[in-house]
Amino acid sequence: MKNSEPENLGAHSRRTFFKSLGTVAATAATAQVQSVAAELEKINTEKIVGPNAVPVTLRVNGEKLQLLLEPRVTLLDALRNYSSLTGAKEGCDRATCGACTVLLGDTPIYSCQKLAIESQGIEITTVEGLAKNEKLSKVQQAFLDKDALQCGYCTPGFVMSVTALLKKNPRPNADDVKHACAGNTCRCGTHPRILQAALRAAGVETASKTEVVDYV
Amino acid sequence: MNAFTYATAHSPASARQLVADKGAYLAGGNDLLGLLKEYLVSADILVNIKSLPGLDKIERGEKFWTIGSLVTVAQIEDHAEIKETFPGLHEAASEVASQQIRNVATVGGNLAQHSRCWYFRHRDTQCLKKDGDLCYALNGENRYHSLFTGNTCISPVVSSLATIFASLDATAIVLRDGQETRQNMAELYQRAWENPLAHNSLKNGDLILRVEIPTTRSRSAYLQVSDRHAFDWALVSCAAAADVVDGKLKSPRVALGSISPVPHQVETANRFLDGKVLDNATATQAADMILKDAKPLEHNAYKVPLAHALIRRTLLKLKGDA
Ligand SMILES: Cc1cc2nc3c(=O)[nH]c(=O)nc-3n(C[C@H](O)[C@H](O)[C@H](O)COP(=O)(O)OP(=O)(O)OC[C@H]3O[C@@H](n4cnc5c(N)ncnc54)[C@H](O)[C@@H]3O)c2cc1C
Ligand code: FES
Ligand code: FES
Repeated sequence: MKNSEPENLGAHSRRTFFKSLGTVAATAATAQVQSVAAELEKINTEKIVGPNAVPVTLRVNGEKLQLLLEPRVTLLDALRNYSSLTGAKEGCDRATCGACTVLLGDTPIYSCQKLAIESQGIEITTVEGLAKNEKLSKVQQAFLDKDALQCGYCTPGFVMSVTALLKKNPRPNADDVKHACAGNTCRCGTHPRILQAALRAAGVETASKTEVVDYV
Repeated sequence: MNAFTYATAHSPASARQLVADKGAYLAGGNDLLGLLKEYLVSADILVNIKSLPGLDKIERGEKFWTIGSLVTVAQIEDHAEIKETFPGLHEAASEVASQQIRNVATVGGNLAQHSRCWYFRHRDTQCLKKDGDLCYALNGENRYHSLFTGNTCISPVVSSLATIFASLDATAIVLRDGQETRQNMAELYQRAWENPLAHNSLKNGDLILRVEIPTTRSRSAYLQVSDRHAFDWALVSCAAAADVVDGKLKSPRVALGSISPVPHQVETANRFLDGKVLDNATATQAADMILKDAKPLEHNAYKVPLAHALIRRTLLKLKGDA
């Protein structure tokens, strides 16, 4: 298995396949081409790679990142240490604090507990990808307006969690916000402000600045 | 993490071949990467199984539903018909960890997750579960540990899905040596009851393909209590499922998590509840039976009254009263 040469095999199969096409109707041929292509794709992707660095292509914030990474490199590490995207933060590196939250497609995930190599082929959004033309996203702006941070280390993670929530549920209530943000921790204890910011971004205003919002 | 090779499998057979003797299947990676980072497991190859075809589906059937092993916990939580048909499964799924974890955590990985015992998880501790000769929890810090065990390791099963699946009498279909084998939740964890080294009954290379849930129990409920409100494992979890005919329970099953190396089920209690109209007294009697042989340790005795209350509350929830 390890020593099969998928590339060569692929080239060979394709060539002999096209040679043998003959007069077969074009539609049938297309279907066959596709199934052969699928077979080849399968052989190619089942290839064993590593442990040394291999090319890994990530799509982050609409741009292609071409990196050379060992399979054991996490997505968080790839973003922060193998490219210059330091927006996602490393807190625990054990899927418990949420500082490393990024979006995979539309879903928030912990980038510390995901390998970069398995994050290929799907759009990744980090906090750097939210502002458009120098304009902060609604969620980012709401965090500023509500002063929802102190040291700011947890902020990118919370912003990504809230951004994902609003995509899924544009009019959340306080419980929805708490459920969506339960996987993020703020060591400075700014949770009540974060809750207010999330609701504000959703257009749900909370009463007053001095309101005590229970968040436990 | 130590270095490893990596491959993506496109069929269960090639996954098995790729994983060989010293590899590990990579699903959501929540548990596996944590174990690798702490050097608690070693793997020379990680076989990404997320591209195995057909295993990411929830399929409804008249007699049973099928949930593929790659279905994520979030998929279960968000599935409107699951909420209606198996409300307990919805409740259990929505309490698993956090949104970020539920989005990637799979049914197979959740069932196969390793012990959370802090001695096991500490990389410098060579406890019984790591082939050492002592269960440090037994006479140590055991507040999160079991009230029941069949061996000298008291690390409990913590999978929330295992608890609810047990009450629904679900069966895991496991690919073993090229054959599909069927294991109910008792069987899926039996080896952890007997053998301190085991986290479940899976052997090296066994692949959970799917879980089948019979539709015979129209009511189900799940409750857990944790130290923290959210994003925490259960101190005790409880699930109950039954059909209710003319106000009477039919085929009731109760299962508890985090108090035994297996989902804790007591058949005499299930039989006692069968045909009964649920009220406080009946629920209390059932709870007494379920916890009769509990062996509390120095720091986990609180789990007995906690489990007792949870059994009663879960059963009454089944009735629709709470
Ligand atoms: C703070 C915190 C709180 C948590 N609270 C809870 C909770 O309340 N309840 C709960 O249930 N969980 C809880 N979890 C655990 C989490 O749900 C599990 O780690 C997760 O479900 C594992 O699934 P995965 O797909 O990521 O598995 P992976 O990490 O990919 O795999 C786990 C193990 O299963 C094996 N495996 C994976 N798929 C298969 C398969 N199909 N067949 C055979 N073996 C397989 C892997 O090789 C590995 O050994 C919590 C986690 C954290 C960090
Ligand atoms: S760094 Fe990923 S959750 Fe803490
Ligand atoms: S603002 Fe400091 S950790 Fe949240």
